[in-house]
Amino acid sequence: MASEQHRPDASHSAIASTAANGAVILPALNEEAVVEDLVAAIRGAVDWPVWLIDDCSTDGTVAAALQAGARVIGLTSPLGAWGATQTGLREAASQNLDFVVTMDADGQHDPCDIAALLAPVIAGHCDVVIGSAVERGSVLRKFAWRLMRITSGLSCQDLTSGFRVLNAKAISLLASPPASCFDYQDVGVLLMLDQAGMRIREIPVTMTSRANGKSRVFSSWLRVATYMAQTLVLGTVKRRRPWQS
Amino acid sequence: MITLLSAVFGLLFAALLLYLVRRDHLHISHGLGWTLAIVLSALLGFAPRIFDAVAEGLGVSYAPILGIALAIAALITKALLNDIEISKLRVRHQRLVQKIALLEAQLGEVNGRAPIDD
Repeated sequence: MASEQHRPDASHSAIASTAANGAVILPALNEEAVVEDLVAAIRGAVDWPVWLIDDCSTDGTVAAALQAGARVIGLTSPLGAWGATQTGLREAASQNLDFVVTMDADGQHDPCDIAALLAPVIAGHCDVVIGSAVERGSVLRKFAWRLMRITSGLSCQDLTSGFRVLNAKAISLLASPPASCFDYQDVGVLLMLDQAGMRIREIPVTMTSRANGKSRVFSSWLRVATYMAQTLVLGTVKRRRPWQS
Repeated sequence: MITLLSAVFGLLFAALLLYLVRRDHLHISHGLGWTLAIVLSALLGFAPRIFDAVAEGLGVSYAPILGIALAIAALITKALLNDIEISKLRVRHQRLVQKIALLEAQLGEVNGRAPIDD
């Protein structure tokens, strides 16, 4: 698998985006507290439209995002972070966009890192860039990643980062119906990209703590255990077989 | 006595299934399969010696367990087929929700109208 770790280019700026067609996709659920500032920061970092995919928020997320100038696409039924992200990817595919940036809407990702992640994809050196922050993980999270790498055969260090850049080829693949089978954006999605021959690169970024401190996905130990069981089995059954090049 | 009971149960259940199909609570494709299964088990209830003969041929010393084992296998198969169907429906549901969201967003931008309430 073509997964490489690279340091960000210090000469990046906001950006080569004017030469290419793209959008920033933010799947969001109840992020009223941070989304307005986040959207404003993204618009300052890259001159592409920001699409907030609202996963049935019950607070003022939509209003805050609209206030900041985002385009809001509201789901009629909650689909989770990956389902919401794929909604944005399908729109990007239908508009024939060249690139998309996907980010979490909880304030963990720094829009200033967008330029560094975009550069290698725009230059054609790879198809997908993952903004990697392995130092953010606890001992347990790092152990979980290690298990995921062992079962799936993936070599990515940060398997769960939602901070990614995709080119048109990757957008088209992940917008397709087979990618709708996944519940999460990690092992299943990365395996799909890897087995399609996509060149995946990791670039270290800074990630801060969640603004409200609580994970939506891992709200209890039972959910964590279910997620880990599903992810490890998925990685095992879908991993590349030795005879596959 | 048990033969009569199982036959009566089978026939009553078959009648219930046909009623459910008539009232559109059960799709005909499911109703037909269940009806055939129930009628078959009711008929076997009238001829238990069939199980004795088959069990002997398979080397099963206690014939009734063969019927129970087959019934469990059939139920597990049915449950698995249901989960496969649910998986397909989940994907279809997800893509429909996504498509509706995208269409509503596009309509809102063209017409300036708010999305329709659920």
